[in-house]
Amino acid sequence: MRPELIPLLVVALLMLSAGGGEVDRVEILVDGDHTIDQLDHALIVGDATVTVPDTATVSGPIYVIAGDTRIRGTGDGDVVQLAGNLTVQEEAIIEGELRLVGGVRTIAPGAAIAERTSFEPVPQESSPAARIVAFVLQSLVLGVSGFGLARWKPTLLANVGDSITDHVLVSGTVGLLASVTLLALFVFMAFTLILLPISVLGILVGLLVVGYSVVVYGFLVGQHLPFERPGLASAVGSVLFLGVLTVLPRIPIVGSWLGITLVTVGIGATLVTYFGLRRFEPVQLPE
Amino acid sequence: MKLFEYVARRDWPRVVGYLLFVSLLSAGYYYNLTFVQLGLFDLGVNRVGMDHVDVSIGMALLALLAFLTAVVTGVWLDRTGWSRSLLVKLRLVLGVVLVQFVLTATAPLVATSEQFFSWVVVCAISLGVGMPTTLSLTIDFIPVRDRGYVAAAIAAISFSIAAIYPLEWSIEGFSLVMVAAMIPGIVVLGVLASGRVSVVEKFAGRSESFDVGRFCRPNPVSTWSLTFWTLVVLMFGVFFIDSLGFLRIVETPTYIFTSWQSPSLDVRLFIALAHVVGAGMAGVLYTNFERRWLFLWVFGLFSFTHLLYTFDIRMAQAGEPSLLLPLFYVLAVSFYTTLNFALWPDLSTPETIGTHSAIGLGMAGFLATFLSTGVALYFQAREVSLFDHLNFVNALALLLFFSVAVLLYVRRMIALARGEVA
Repeated sequence: MRPELIPLLVVALLMLSAGGGEVDRVEILVDGDHTIDQLDHALIVGDATVTVPDTATVSGPIYVIAGDTRIRGTGDGDVVQLAGNLTVQEEAIIEGELRLVGGVRTIAPGAAIAERTSFEPVPQESSPAARIVAFVLQSLVLGVSGFGLARWKPTLLANVGDSITDHVLVSGTVGLLASVTLLALFVFMAFTLILLPISVLGILVGLLVVGYSVVVYGFLVGQHLPFERPGLASAVGSVLFLGVLTVLPRIPIVGSWLGITLVTVGIGATLVTYFGLRRFEPVQLPE
Repeated sequence: MKLFEYVARRDWPRVVGYLLFVSLLSAGYYYNLTFVQLGLFDLGVNRVGMDHVDVSIGMALLALLAFLTAVVTGVWLDRTGWSRSLLVKLRLVLGVVLVQFVLTATAPLVATSEQFFSWVVVCAISLGVGMPTTLSLTIDFIPVRDRGYVAAAIAAISFSIAAIYPLEWSIEGFSLVMVAAMIPGIVVLGVLASGRVSVVEKFAGRSESFDVGRFCRPNPVSTWSLTFWTLVVLMFGVFFIDSLGFLRIVETPTYIFTSWQSPSLDVRLFIALAHVVGAGMAGVLYTNFERRWLFLWVFGLFSFTHLLYTFDIRMAQAGEPSLLLPLFYVLAVSFYTTLNFALWPDLSTPETIGTHSAIGLGMAGFLATFLSTGVALYFQAREVSLFDHLNFVNALALLLFFSVAVLLYVRRMIALARGEVA
């Protein structure tokens, strides 16, 4: 499963448990083609293609967080779309509630849907203006953080920055290991229900670490900018680096991997330096 | 890395020394992973027609005998001073390879349980002699600085090839390929071990940076020290947990078909790649952090992996389980294998490397396997469910993880109380 789907998976589990569903019986499909003829428990569709054929009647709720879901038959329970593609065809019957939060969908006018609700906070295809507003908001947060840290706690940024530049292999390794392990851990915590708040908190802390590493990169970029005030240089550097991260995925094949690598190294550097509280020093080995 | 320095100054004999060492250990470990671990079971059950319990007893006999032989050989190497002689060690390795050549060639001919047990005894003795002898070559070929990366390379090569080949197990086919692959190796080893090629000594490094292991500076670690035996117990725990969990997973079709014995080449390629990445990560961590961090990661990964498996069973999902499960298993295995290859030479000096390698590999690796096989058989006889079995393994992993964390904390606390840390 793609790591970016993990927050959506946690949200789906949260919604399922809030609705009184049996979280311990949920089935998650993350790849392949599946035809669902029978379903007596909740189903979460990840990067898979799922079809409910016209002859089938399924009772469990279906949560779509990615992939393609095609409903031709009868769904007794709710169908909730958080992301991905959903197709509800003419002959389909949804006796529960069809809740639309995000993603792309095609709903045939003749489909029998008992109740339909929509909570789409963000338009499907965000307009250029919306994208610019989102970028400006992120820039503002990271720029202010970069400015404040560079002005009042520059050692923190310098320590993490040194780890990025001088110990890139160690930072990348720790970043990769921590990211993979913690993401999986948060998902499995969410399934316990009791630890679900910690799971959500963990994901938020993860986002904070990513933001922190962007600010550190901004600090490093700022050192090469023609600004005398380090706070201003770091703020501008953070915005520039955010711009680079936004543009990188548009470069085919290597762009996304380069972005992920940079962020992974940043995460590792943040962790091995305890958020910059101390410099990372590898163990001394004999020459 | 020192290797890059040797390449930069065109010190090719030293580079050849690296290649020779990595080839020898990778080939040996690959042989152990495939022909001994998988092949022995296949040989006993499918060809000879023995039942699972008898074959498991055979494997336990192999482990115990290999351990005893390894200890005797290791102590003998140190006491006679042969662990410092490259030529003697190469000759012993040649002898081991020749015996394994004959064993490999004759394996398809084994037809009765008596022949099977005889085959096992000879195999165990050759493995027991081979373990400390081969690992003792570390002080000849690999400088202390590069041991983490070299250990990672050995783990990556042997595991990744074992994950891909053989795709379908057949003792005849595999025996033929292995025999063919061993012949050039035997020729090269024969030339090097003959004593008539002066270049051999140039492959080896004889200096402070090769001889004394990383954890023996400034003071050597004694064989009877608490440090050494704590590490032996920890590694024993790692092997025990891995083996106990793996034995049960291997017998569960749902899991085995999405992991090491999957018929899908894609899955096996994924696992092979994960082994390479995992070993590389372990090499970086071993080189840059203290050993306790690596132990924490190993136990943490094992705990988490078994937690995933028990969770998957609890969920009783339909269809194939996620590749996330073997991914974490592979990471944990790559980590501890890398640690195992680098740790024992780094806990040794030329005077103790034979004994330490023998106890380390023999006790932690082979004896742990022997005991976990026994426990697995006991669980099987008591009809313990898969869920309970893996729960037990997970509890052990969590206990060791917690114990290491507590040990580290208490050590730090004592240091603080003594005022040793500011």
